[in-house]
Amino acid sequence: MNEFLGFLVNGLSLGAIYALIALGFVMIFKATSVMNFAHGSIVLLGAYVVGRTHDEVGFWWAALLGILAAAAAAALVDLIVLRHARGADLGTLAILTIGVDTLLSTELTREMGTAILDAGAPWGTSTVHLGGTSVPLSRLVAALVAVVVVAVLWAVFRFTHWGVRMRAAAEDGTTAALMGIRLGRVAAGAWAIAGVLAALAGVFLTSFPSPGISPAAGVTALAAVPAWVLGGFDSFPGAVVGGLVIGVVTALSAGYQEHLLFLGRDLAQVAPYAVMFLVLLVRPSGLFGSKEFARV
Amino acid sequence: MSSGTLIRSVRRSVRPLVLVAGVLLALAAPLSLNGFWLQSGLFAMAAAVSAIGLTLLVGRAGQLSLGHAFFVAVGAYGYCYLAGTSSADGVRGLGLPPLLAAFGAVVAAGTAGALFSPISGRLRGIYLGLASLGLVFLGQHILKNAIPLTGGFNGRDAAPLDLFGFSFSDSDPAGFLVLGVPYGQLERLWYVGLVCAALAWWSARNLLRSRPGRALATVRDSEVAAGAMGIDVVRYKAAAFVLSSMYAGLGGVLTALAFGRIVPDSFGLSASVAFLVMIVIGGIGSVGGAVGGAFFVTLLPLVLDHYSGRLPFLSPPGSEGLDAAGLSEFVYGLAIVLVLLFAHGGLAGFLRRAATALRRTPGRDTDRPSDDERAPLRSHTAKEPAS
Amino acid sequence: MTTTAAVDAQPVVEVEDLRVTYARSVQALRGVSLWVPRKGVVAVLGNNGAGKSTLLRAISGTLGQEGGTVTDGSIRLAGRPVERYGPSAIVAEGVLHAPEGRRVFGTLTVEDNLRAGGTAARSRRARAEAGERVYALFPVLYERRRQRAGLLSGGEQQMLAIGRALMGSPRVLLLDEPSLGLAPLLTERIAEVITEINREGTAVVLVEQNAAMALRVADLAFVLEAGRVSLQGRAADLAGTTEVRDRYLGMGAGQRPAPPDPGQRPVPSGSGQLLPPSPGQLSPPDAERPSPPDVERPSPSGVAQPSPPGAGQPSPPTAAQPPSPGAQRKGTAEAGSAVHELVVEDVSVRFGGVQALDRVSFTVTPGSLHALIGPNGAGKSTCLNVLSGVYAPTTGGVRYGDHDLTRLPQHRIAAAGISRTFQNLALSPGETVLDNLLVARHRYMRTGFLSAALRTPRSRREAAEHRAAAERTAALLGLDRLLHSRVGELPYGDRKRVELARALCAEPGLLLLDEPVAGMNHGESLRMEQAIGTVQRELGISIVLVEHDMRFVMGLADRVTVLDFGRRIADGTPAEVQRDPHVLRAYLGDLPGVTT
Repeated sequence: MNEFLGFLVNGLSLGAIYALIALGFVMIFKATSVMNFAHGSIVLLGAYVVGRTHDEVGFWWAALLGILAAAAAAALVDLIVLRHARGADLGTLAILTIGVDTLLSTELTREMGTAILDAGAPWGTSTVHLGGTSVPLSRLVAALVAVVVVAVLWAVFRFTHWGVRMRAAAEDGTTAALMGIRLGRVAAGAWAIAGVLAALAGVFLTSFPSPGISPAAGVTALAAVPAWVLGGFDSFPGAVVGGLVIGVVTALSAGYQEHLLFLGRDLAQVAPYAVMFLVLLVRPSGLFGSKEFARV
Repeated sequence: MSSGTLIRSVRRSVRPLVLVAGVLLALAAPLSLNGFWLQSGLFAMAAAVSAIGLTLLVGRAGQLSLGHAFFVAVGAYGYCYLAGTSSADGVRGLGLPPLLAAFGAVVAAGTAGALFSPISGRLRGIYLGLASLGLVFLGQHILKNAIPLTGGFNGRDAAPLDLFGFSFSDSDPAGFLVLGVPYGQLERLWYVGLVCAALAWWSARNLLRSRPGRALATVRDSEVAAGAMGIDVVRYKAAAFVLSSMYAGLGGVLTALAFGRIVPDSFGLSASVAFLVMIVIGGIGSVGGAVGGAFFVTLLPLVLDHYSGRLPFLSPPGSEGLDAAGLSEFVYGLAIVLVLLFAHGGLAGFLRRAATALRRTPGRDTDRPSDDERAPLRSHTAKEPAS
Repeated sequence: MTTTAAVDAQPVVEVEDLRVTYARSVQALRGVSLWVPRKGVVAVLGNNGAGKSTLLRAISGTLGQEGGTVTDGSIRLAGRPVERYGPSAIVAEGVLHAPEGRRVFGTLTVEDNLRAGGTAARSRRARAEAGERVYALFPVLYERRRQRAGLLSGGEQQMLAIGRALMGSPRVLLLDEPSLGLAPLLTERIAEVITEINREGTAVVLVEQNAAMALRVADLAFVLEAGRVSLQGRAADLAGTTEVRDRYLGMGAGQRPAPPDPGQRPVPSGSGQLLPPSPGQLSPPDAERPSPPDVERPSPSGVAQPSPPGAGQPSPPTAAQPPSPGAQRKGTAEAGSAVHELVVEDVSVRFGGVQALDRVSFTVTPGSLHALIGPNGAGKSTCLNVLSGVYAPTTGGVRYGDHDLTRLPQHRIAAAGISRTFQNLALSPGETVLDNLLVARHRYMRTGFLSAALRTPRSRREAAEHRAAAERTAALLGLDRLLHSRVGELPYGDRKRVELARALCAEPGLLLLDEPVAGMNHGESLRMEQAIGTVQRELGISIVLVEHDMRFVMGLADRVTVLDFGRRIADGTPAEVQRDPHVLRAYLGDLPGVTT
């Protein structure tokens, strides 16, 4: 029972990180209808900047730099590349982001070389004992940060003029433009916020218990894709729930790996996708996503 | 006679000549090409067959798939399992005649496509694309764990193809010479690749101009219109997956033969993405474009790596500077971005526009519609049905 | 020339020779010139597809989002050219556009909708003041300010859409079909609101299908037809012209329901009552018709059709048509379908909270042309979608001969011999005309994937046979020269004919046509009318025709069912329906001078 509780807490905290990434996917998709395969590289970029600079400026400034770098990079991807392909079909846009991802991750990989940086977070490798199980402190911080970020995002969207414009543009861009809302700015803003979320996720994804910042982190970030899909492509609550579900599924299938050997090794890597398939079979547009209709 | 008519008549008389010359060149290639080029060419032909399948699915039927490598893997591993023999390390095989095994592998890949139809039939656009992404991860898991079938992480050998006693390997007959050139495994397989690629090209072109091909295009452009014309939309959407998976299966068999030994890593996410990139660079929906894209994407890293020693600006792998692998990644990424932003319709679209410009005669200068209009992937999203 | 000050005032918006093209090939506006007087109300009338919404989009700078471009002409705002401005720059100039279909942000609260509308407000104070004005104008919005806009009723949503546009304190307000789908009482309310907004100094451009309402509140009116201004003048004058009545009531073609009201002054062409009297624009739209719509001339079809008024029996066949009691077919028929009776019984359709169809019943006798008419949003297209299996009815049933179509999937309905066209064209633009037509032969062909891939002799033979059939159909509709053109390259009118040809290529027993002349000019629509008439005569099939243009329907139909708000409000011969007071009210509202 304690073991289970431990897996659950670990899973939820991992899920919080996935939720941050999935929120970024939703944000970008709602604002620009792009499924952003460059997101992994942006996660990696945020983490890399933190890892590269924390020795000189200290962790907190480094974190700020990482967040700014990721936000700027994401906004630039939108401004330089995707702005010129607005209205293209989903496949084209997705492949465009794959191209961007290739460029970005190749450059980052080259910069990093073979050295594995660490994020240099003050919580280091310490763990906390919670109800008989031990949880890495970094994961608890991650969960806390995710909660705060989600709350702030919610408040911004709910109460500020900027948030209202963002929601209006996401729901019906054409009509929002008629109100004088500048869709280009809204889009770049959404990408920048997604970048912020990606950098935050990047820092936690590469902190203990992960080995450190390496190109593999970009791929790990893709694990948030099933979270995004099963929550529903255009739903913020869906992204949070999806992230938590996938986090828990991953932690449980890793934790009980020995009992699940008949399903093969490294089950934790594939279990999220299996869950995603199951959900899609029952609900083709995810748990909270809005339905697609055929237009006549 | 206007210049347009002249060009057209010249084209008409030149085309068969070009075709014959091309066929002769392709047939004679093993006489002069070295092992590197033969091997690379084989990889490219295998990729081309698979890419043709994907362009039929994405371009013709309008179904986005990020999981094509999964079906290629089914073909490749299916062949190895059916044609291979059981070995001591727990890897099993049925030991069927290779030709039968190849046929069975194609059928197996088609079956895998059919098994995916409960999902592919319900989803479209982005939903389908990302769901099919799951197939790749599922596939990797199976490939690494179903050791009796796949050999696990280390993969398994592909039995050499043989046809009526003639083996497509270095022996049986050993020391086989053509015009004084020794024909070993690569030279012999070259012709298998050619036949498969030609067959795939020809059959795909036929399909595009046929009843099922038109039905798929209608399903792509408007499912409602397709239904109104008596097309069973659900069946055709499933059929599109089966069809493309069978091409993928054939491509997989070729891949297995070309590699000689296959490992799970060849069929991962990057392979799936590469197939998509091939058809996009070539021009979605165009069979020739898929082949061109396959050659570009496959050959680019191989050629850069092969000649890296002669490119002064490249540094050796592992050092600080730009190595061949890095450069090919950059070229690959840039090609994707530039083609998508500036060459609508990919290489095929570019060539078509060039041809149109050439053919255009004074007095007949109607503007062609943009290629965006032919964009095959369209998701009709509306918050409520139009009444 | 004019008496009203509003008409004389300096124009705030001037549109000159505006041409707009969609997707580089479809011409939506072909040289529109009009102006909006400062503080005036201008009505823009016209049929579906005439270019009204396109005009508004051009003014508000939002054409680009729909793939449209201004190819020629100019739009001036208080003298300044703005045709190249983006939407936010236009809004900053004080032009706000309340789009068709309300388009409120359904997931946002009423309050947030208004906040979004206040994006362009110059200051916090301006926004607050605008908010107060809107709440004063629409108290109901204040009561509902915390509710999600998606939960409001249709009328409330329309008020929100107008209020949202008012949040930008517009100099010019563009309203696209504000009365669409609203009950008469609410339409009246909208009319009052427009007058009130105008009184406070805002110029209004009102695009409307409800001609009576629009002409009542407007100072000036322009009628668009197929992308051109076909008629213009002072609203009060236009309201009395025969042209406007013909267009919106189908009373032309010598089928006036009642003797002309002596109090009503028909305006002769070229009369000084209309301004400006540019020649050509005022020629009666029906000039090309064999029978000019002369008021005095005795009605020929009235003579030919001795049906007693109010008789509920099916219409007798008109003189032009052979007595066609069903399944007799001529022409090509190697693979045709039998013609059966279509019975629609108590069909209801519900989308979420919206009752799109409410217990609608009608019967289509074999070989007849049955028209389904009604204002926009009446449920006509929904009805057609139920017949062709796109939507399943919530309750009720549809029978075609012995086939129960109620729950059949689309392709099974097609297999029963029912074919259709689509209002917004559902062709494959990248394929040739021939390939688009051959799709309709799908159910007569057998070639599967394998034989197609291998190009077996049988598949080639079959392809050749059906190609011949498609070519014959193309010839019937004059498309034979276009067979190898890609559909995306064709002009709109040709595409419409390709759609009809495709539906015919399926050799149906019952043909469903969804607004076949929407967006066509008079000549094109006349040709389409002839084509449909020919088809029905030659092939003896049943046709269900959904149409907005009443005049078009009256000349063709054997029987007419009128829908309004999803309900059947009339059913009978064209002559009967035209006299029906419910129908007149649904179409015209209470137009002064029309006997109801």
